[in-house]
Amino acid sequence: MKIWRISFLTVILGALVISAAYFSEGYLGIFVFSLIINGIMAVSFDIPGRSLGLISLGHATFFGMGAYCFGISITQGFTFFPALILSVLLSAVGAFIITLLLAGLGHGYYSLATLGVLIVFQRLSETLESLTGGSAGLYIPETISKLHCNILAAFLLLATAAGHVLYSRSRWGLYSKETEASEEAAEAIGIPTRKVKTASLMISAIPASMAGLLHLARTSHVSPVSGFSLTLSITALLASRIVPARGILGPLLGVLLITAAEEVIWTKFEGFNHALFGLILLSAAWYQGVQSSEAGLNLIKKFRVGEK
Amino acid sequence: MLNSGRIFILTAFGLSDVKRRPSVIQVLISGLFLGGVYALLAVGLSLAFGIMGVLNLAHGSLAVLGAILYKKSLVLHPFSPWIFCVLATPIFLCLGFILHLIIVTPFRNLSQSEGVVASLIASLGVAFILEDLFVWWQGWEPISTYFSFPTFNLFNLKIPGLRAVLMGMAAITIGLSTLFLKKTDRGRSMRALSQDQETASLYGINPGITSMSALGLATIMAGLAGIFYSVLYPLGPRDGLDLTLKALFIVVAGGMGNLRGPAVAGLLLGLLESFAGFFFTYTSTDTIVYSLLIVYLVLKRGRRRQ
Repeated sequence: MKIWRISFLTVILGALVISAAYFSEGYLGIFVFSLIINGIMAVSFDIPGRSLGLISLGHATFFGMGAYCFGISITQGFTFFPALILSVLLSAVGAFIITLLLAGLGHGYYSLATLGVLIVFQRLSETLESLTGGSAGLYIPETISKLHCNILAAFLLLATAAGHVLYSRSRWGLYSKETEASEEAAEAIGIPTRKVKTASLMISAIPASMAGLLHLARTSHVSPVSGFSLTLSITALLASRIVPARGILGPLLGVLLITAAEEVIWTKFEGFNHALFGLILLSAAWYQGVQSSEAGLNLIKKFRVGEK
Repeated sequence: MLNSGRIFILTAFGLSDVKRRPSVIQVLISGLFLGGVYALLAVGLSLAFGIMGVLNLAHGSLAVLGAILYKKSLVLHPFSPWIFCVLATPIFLCLGFILHLIIVTPFRNLSQSEGVVASLIASLGVAFILEDLFVWWQGWEPISTYFSFPTFNLFNLKIPGLRAVLMGMAAITIGLSTLFLKKTDRGRSMRALSQDQETASLYGINPGITSMSALGLATIMAGLAGIFYSVLYPLGPRDGLDLTLKALFIVVAGGMGNLRGPAVAGLLLGLLESFAGFFFTYTSTDTIVYSLLIVYLVLKRGRRRQ
């Protein structure tokens, strides 16, 4: 990893941790918190996304699972830390079952199946009203202060980023890259592809579920739409793809861009926020297209020459 | 729980007396009628995927657009759904061409896997934009375009005439599309393109125009499915993504890129939804349907790997 890349990364992560501790209340507190949560989602999404090429359209399933497990534990009388441990364990078991089922699927099928799982969980949380509060959602009392929530979330982001780097440099990370290149060839040289996929997906699922429970601890409310949110999944996908930088720098910069854009859209353009979010999606896809075309490449080259 | 499911089915049948319990055969017929609409929607999506490799997530939103256009047209003149379908076909063809310029043309230089992801993101963007435009254009109220039509008796079973006619129209549309693909030059070009783009180009087939025509045809099917759906059930302005997801699952279950598989899978989904609504509650229908589809997907994939 180049020195400038490490410095840049340290600056971004450091700034996030410091702002999480400094701005815990008011508008800025909420903004920093959502930045961190989106960061955790994007970096965790990127673990199987980058190494295995698996695009999960239902990454928010784990977020919702964590939030609901935590919320139900609190309503059953548990205090913060026992509820946290219990919900992480329950989410991990749930994530293990889901990943075990879906790890065998190919790229397109995997994307669709994850989306299906997201919808199933959304509908289940609407139907099981006595447990989840139905469509209105679940309300819990404040269990920890907003400052502690922000700090925990910031450390979770650091841990997820460290997990991403360590995984991609480990033996399993190399196995993942081999599996992405050719699953059959990887199996032929003795790589346990299914185990590799399951491990990668589990590493991705646990931070997402913890992000969900921290989000609920801070906001005190989760609903089927906000917990099992397609928009959250798409934000993670977009953030991990929009900046063409290697390693975790890509998703982190992507999160800064997307969260800032989302914030402007959701606060300033009421009634057209979906449309503007759609425009961002379109622009991101078009940018990818322009990069690949000859005319686009020439344009980019000219722009770079002009810069010099 | 069971009672509300039955009431839903009775209402779906258009029966005024909710105390009457529909027979299993009537649930079967209702499921087939709904399945016909799903089949039409899914066949369009499968066509687009088979020929261009594009998973068009705006497909369901185009169906909602069909429903809105029909509802708006009723203010001008009380068109029957079948007359409006004929009138709307060129509009949807043009919309398909425009959509092609947005979600296919910009990504033609990308590799296949990158192209699929890019077009998926772009079409999702289009779906989001359309959703907000629909709400702005016609408000939050569900789009319902009920059309009065007599019911007829067949072997002591009350068959709602309108549903039967719409089912017939869906079948005719799918049949005509199949004929188009098999018997016309443009259709043969589309099939050739789906098999090998480079070889097809060597034989003088223009990939741009051919894939544009394919998306045009797929958009027509989406629009017609939306018109039929809104005649049968109310459709929300933001139901587009739900419809797309159902269509996607049908296509995956029936086999991507062919027309017969999704048509059969669409009918099966209609039946599954009707029976799920009959035996359980309406709200649990989606949970049951999507769970079964995921199980099917996992099993199907497992069988292939073996």
